[in-house]
Amino acid sequence: MSVDTRQGPVDATKLPLNLNDRRAPLWWGMVGLITIEAVLFASLIVSYFYLRFYAPAWPMGDISKPSLLLPSIGAIVLVVSSGPMVWADASIKKGNVRNLMTGLALSFVLGVAFLTLKFVEYSGYTYDWTTNAYGSITWTIVGFHSVHVIAVLLKVAVVFTAAAQGYFSAERNLGVRINGLYWHFVVAAWVPLFFTLYLSHYLL
Amino acid sequence: MTTSVLKPYEARRSATGRLAALTAVNHKTIGLRWIVTAFAFFIAAGLLALTMVTQLSRAGLGLLSAEIYNQFFTMHGITMMFYFAVPIMLGLGLYFVPLMIGARAVVFPRLNAFAYWVYLFSGVGLWIALFLGRAPDAGWFSYTPLAGPNYSPGINVDLYALSIAFLEASNLAAAVILIITILKMRAPGMSINRMPVFVWSILIASLMIVFAMPSLMLATTMLALDRIVGTAFFRIPAGGTSFLWQHLFWFFGHPEVYIVAIPAFGMVSTLLPPFSRRRLVGYLPVVLSQVLIGIISFGLWVHHMFAGELSVLAMTFFAAASMSIAIPSGTQVFAWISTIWMGEKPRVKTAYLWAVGFIPMFVIGGITGIMVAAPPFDWQVHDSHFVTAHFHYVLIGGAVFPMMGMLTYWFPKMTGRLLDETLGRWSFWLAFTGFNVAFFTLHYTGLRGMPRRVHTYMGGQGWSTPMTVTWLGALLLGAGFAVTLINVLKSLARGERAGANPWEAGSLEWAVSSPPPAHNFDAIPAVNSRMPLWYDVAEGSERRGGYELPEQERLTVGTSTLDGEPEQRLLVAGPAIEPLLLAVAGAVALYGALISLWLVPVGALIGFIAIVLWNWPGRNRAKEQG
Repeated sequence: MSVDTRQGPVDATKLPLNLNDRRAPLWWGMVGLITIEAVLFASLIVSYFYLRFYAPAWPMGDISKPSLLLPSIGAIVLVVSSGPMVWADASIKKGNVRNLMTGLALSFVLGVAFLTLKFVEYSGYTYDWTTNAYGSITWTIVGFHSVHVIAVLLKVAVVFTAAAQGYFSAERNLGVRINGLYWHFVVAAWVPLFFTLYLSHYLL
Repeated sequence: MTTSVLKPYEARRSATGRLAALTAVNHKTIGLRWIVTAFAFFIAAGLLALTMVTQLSRAGLGLLSAEIYNQFFTMHGITMMFYFAVPIMLGLGLYFVPLMIGARAVVFPRLNAFAYWVYLFSGVGLWIALFLGRAPDAGWFSYTPLAGPNYSPGINVDLYALSIAFLEASNLAAAVILIITILKMRAPGMSINRMPVFVWSILIASLMIVFAMPSLMLATTMLALDRIVGTAFFRIPAGGTSFLWQHLFWFFGHPEVYIVAIPAFGMVSTLLPPFSRRRLVGYLPVVLSQVLIGIISFGLWVHHMFAGELSVLAMTFFAAASMSIAIPSGTQVFAWISTIWMGEKPRVKTAYLWAVGFIPMFVIGGITGIMVAAPPFDWQVHDSHFVTAHFHYVLIGGAVFPMMGMLTYWFPKMTGRLLDETLGRWSFWLAFTGFNVAFFTLHYTGLRGMPRRVHTYMGGQGWSTPMTVTWLGALLLGAGFAVTLINVLKSLARGERAGANPWEAGSLEWAVSSPPPAHNFDAIPAVNSRMPLWYDVAEGSERRGGYELPEQERLTVGTSTLDGEPEQRLLVAGPAIEPLLLAVAGAVALYGALISLWLVPVGALIGFIAIVLWNWPGRNRAKEQG
């Protein structure tokens, strides 16, 4: 219970400075960003099914259903990339900077692999965003998500550099964990998108 | 002041020197910028409206060509909705929420500065286009296919799509700042059920922004893609559908109305108690009504599309949902009336007049709202002046009136000087009379079949005379707002000194001097009731004490979300240039796309550099051990 200060002042300098956990404003800020982006991804998915609902055939025109092999490998690679990030988080909580950097590097490599697979896959398609509404929505969704992957890779590079300079420790690691939270979001967002773009052709 | 534990900050404690205006981050500086900029846009868009109504005052006038008229009504709508109504609410929130909850700052002061720059750039960009005769001209909701590349070639609608997408980034950032500030930085003891109603309303509106605006951001991005790189979202021959635009736009667009209206409800709930000398009747039902309106408003958007192709089931559902808004709205109206009724004899000041004047205007707008919520009636008056009358009752009577009241009420807090009461009354009565003359008449012209958005009309249809009446009313309304503008300018220089609490109000912003010091509170107040200045003071004693914390501009207290228990000291970021740099990067990337797509990666690169400089550990940051 808060103190009744009607009797006199209270010294607030004993309170801890900027807590390092989920009560930190920065954590809340990242949750806010993720919420906004989740709504954006949801709106994209709704738009996809809205277009499909109105279309006489899906995919439109003479575009064939996407093959599942390459995208599935990509999805697995991306989901696996969350593993090293969890490990990196846990390591820096114990103050292990070396493992932190290894974890970040592993996730980074897996993220790049995912992007490469996407690039290979989309280079093979004969349609693009101007072909028809199906092309527009699929390229937009993949482009939008890929921009997120690129952004989070850049973030990881920055955190990695700061870690190399010895900035993070067992006490000071909020930056790492917030970066990790965003990474997990970018990975998690791909799951419904993967369902929408690929599995829904076969399941719905 | 004790010796600093935060030495690296000292040099950057306040924005000083040549770059001060560009690096400022104090929430009052930035909040005031939002407020002043929003009112500047209000005046500009109001002048557009006066020109348009002059054009319509008689049949067949040739003051404006059809092309220019289209740009005028589009810019009037865009400016009023996107660049005035929402920003003024955000601005008042950013300025006053920390003061009302006993904090020394908002949570991310630099993000706040960034949000302001984006808002400014995107609005100024559109207005420059208007002066060049190239402003958007497909209406504020820019329906496709009209707004698509085939029917609106040229840069006009490109600017709409890009500017609005850019602006939403700003509004979303401001909303997140307000939410976290309110949830994590309330003064110790201000549990969530002791929050001022205005703070509640800002919290609800900000949460609505977070869930509504991404949809608009996506819609405008799709429109920009359709227009600039040739996608087919709204291109019907290629499988697109213009209904997608309507759904995405109105999924944002209807909550938007309540994003504006809910803070207005909070304002009325704030204005009535000090002048009625009684606390608000029904704090809990009022707050719950606002929450409920916030939730229901996400289930109404299709009522803007009744004239489109919809199933009977969908229409029935959305009609019923639309009508149900009347219940929580009515609850609040009765709470306000009860507050006036059960209070002491009211002190009738200008601010009180605006708040009381709001009530009947909002009720009229609400009743016509229930009328158009019924699809058959909607089909009859769709796209007519009746609809124009309805939403101006809701938006001017229901939102601008409380805002004018709040401006009058908070002006002494922001400037240290009171507004002139005589001029204030003139302003209110001119605006109130003019507003009703102008807009009540529009119900009639609407029922007589006069459509919206026509630049002229032929005589002999019975529209000329009522439109002349509307024109006269609009002039009175404009004169009323002009009197307030004169009042503001006059009082800034020569107004009566206000003192800390000229209205003897009960919330925390009145505990500090007028204008407040940069750090707001010498000691963070401790709160024991909903109206700390009324109820927290023991009999016969001065209010004193609080949570003492040195480093006034750099530290504030963070508290727990629900109970307001003190948890931590929070560092407050100091002045920085990076927010401006990032906003410039965004402008280069977006508006650059109209010149050459190569400018997009250039902007992104500048943006990345700005973000890294902004966040680089140790840079601009305090040593984190005391």
